[in-house]
Amino acid sequence: MRKVIIIALILCLTSGYAFIKSYEFTVPENWPKPVYNFNKNPPNFTAIELGRNLFYDPILSKDNTISCASCHLQYTAFTHVDHALSHGINDRIGTRNAPALMNLAWQRQFMWDGAINHLDVQALAPINHPDEMGESFDSVVFKLQKSKYYKKWFLLAFNDSNISGEHTLKAISQFMLTLVSSNSKYDSVKRHQSKFTAQEKRGYQLFKINCSSCHTEPLFSSYQFENNGLPISNELKDSGRIRITHYLQDAFKFKVPSLRNIEFSYPYMHDGRFKKLSEVLNHYTQGIQSSETLAAQLRKPMAFSANEKVDIIAFLLTLTDKTFLFNPKFGYPKKIFNTSPNK
Amino acid sequence: MKHGIFLFLCCVLIFNTIFAQSSIVKIQIKHAIGDSKTICTDSIYRLNQHDSIKITTLRYYISGIELLLNNQSIWIETNSFHLIDISDSSSSFFALKLPQNTQYNQIKFNLGIDSITSNAGALGGDLDPSKGMYWSWQSGYINLKLEGKSNLCKTNNQLFQLHLGGYLYPYSAMQQIVLNTCDQMPICIVFDLEKWIQKIPLDLQHHIMSPSNNSVLISKAAAQAFRICTPCEK
Repeated sequence: MRKVIIIALILCLTSGYAFIKSYEFTVPENWPKPVYNFNKNPPNFTAIELGRNLFYDPILSKDNTISCASCHLQYTAFTHVDHALSHGINDRIGTRNAPALMNLAWQRQFMWDGAINHLDVQALAPINHPDEMGESFDSVVFKLQKSKYYKKWFLLAFNDSNISGEHTLKAISQFMLTLVSSNSKYDSVKRHQSKFTAQEKRGYQLFKINCSSCHTEPLFSSYQFENNGLPISNELKDSGRIRITHYLQDAFKFKVPSLRNIEFSYPYMHDGRFKKLSEVLNHYTQGIQSSETLAAQLRKPMAFSANEKVDIIAFLLTLTDKTFLFNPKFGYPKKIFNTSPNK
Repeated sequence: MKHGIFLFLCCVLIFNTIFAQSSIVKIQIKHAIGDSKTICTDSIYRLNQHDSIKITTLRYYISGIELLLNNQSIWIETNSFHLIDISDSSSSFFALKLPQNTQYNQIKFNLGIDSITSNAGALGGDLDPSKGMYWSWQSGYINLKLEGKSNLCKTNNQLFQLHLGGYLYPYSAMQQIVLNTCDQMPICIVFDLEKWIQKIPLDLQHHIMSPSNNSVLISKAAAQAFRICTPCEK
């Protein structure tokens, strides 16, 4: 018996992962299958905590001032509230609105133009961008390798005593994958746990007829790229997806954002030009600019009465998920940072 | 006791399968400019009577190594990704482990990284994005990085910086190379930098940082500059 225990202990110690609790990713009821391949990056609670630590740690930026959370704040669905364009190190301003982060396991391409092809490599873009974190990724890994604190975390989470770039990115992915928002009033209505008001119901009907072909339920985005008829900004001159694909038909197309938590994720559009939902609806009824790549659904003008606009907004507010916005598991990791080497 | 014998037999079987019938084929890649058979990052090399070049960085991926016998594939390296860096001479030497008595007379490999790997997220080893060969603003590997200085470049300090890559049509830059080896051991390959650089219009193309037609053309020229050290005797 003693031999069996000793062998089991040796196996546990050598395997490295033995005491790590794996994380079961749950797909909400009636949602599609996630596209992220969890087999290539099996989640565990330690790696998720490590990823959360990295997400909130300004060590990722060149001058240790900006973290992922600087532009992706939890209470606003992980976008940058009140900032049309986010600012990075040395107050440098970028050219696009920070996208909200949620339900990332269902997305294949990232950024407004889909420049990033996998969640694992997404973090490289803001880390390296001179207007965001302005840091080289090899330098980030070097800084982490020098930290005794992170050494322990990587060893526990990935059995990695050296800290690799691969595991740094995979840890950040693991935390971001947990950012699932599926507990709005809309969701509870779908689960027959509550009911829409008459106004919300009217708004939902209008939404289904006019908006849902791009903002597809239940994720409230098709995650495709569309030109929604915004006049081109002379200052930013942002041509959108064509910069990545070089196809003419992709000119001025941007990724369709999810409408979940839209109440808190203002300002809206790829350049944050609209502050209020009413401005967004006014754009769709009066502001569409025609062009060769305009989305087919927007070629026929949309018409909503003032009351109908209010109804649609009432419905959109049912997409707010406070259990997501205020979930302490996604917040600033106070306990971890008490022992952080940066403090 | 019975269990002990069984375990011992299993170990012997596994050991035999893994180690017994394999042989090692060494590969060496030499980098040459004219008569210079090794390239130093602080030396200046003459391209002709008037022009010269200094190479500060040369890094590239060799991937998907395959051995062929009379154009038939007979062995494929698994997880075949090698980052070659002239500032790290050991990176130009690596070994293939193949079954004993494998007959081959050709080696096939890619210069760069294929599209499936480019779409596979964060990877480790030589493919780790911290190796400085991954684009951050747009996903994908830099297949080949050449940086340096030349009087041909009408740029600040005569510097040039070519980052060649891209996996999406129509600017997929990865190149396939097949060389006749005649079963030579070790397999010695030359990357003739002079031949390649002569085909790069450095006066016009001194900075490439994204997938483009020029990136594809210069990658093709690079692939044509690989040859086997000693040509096969017929």
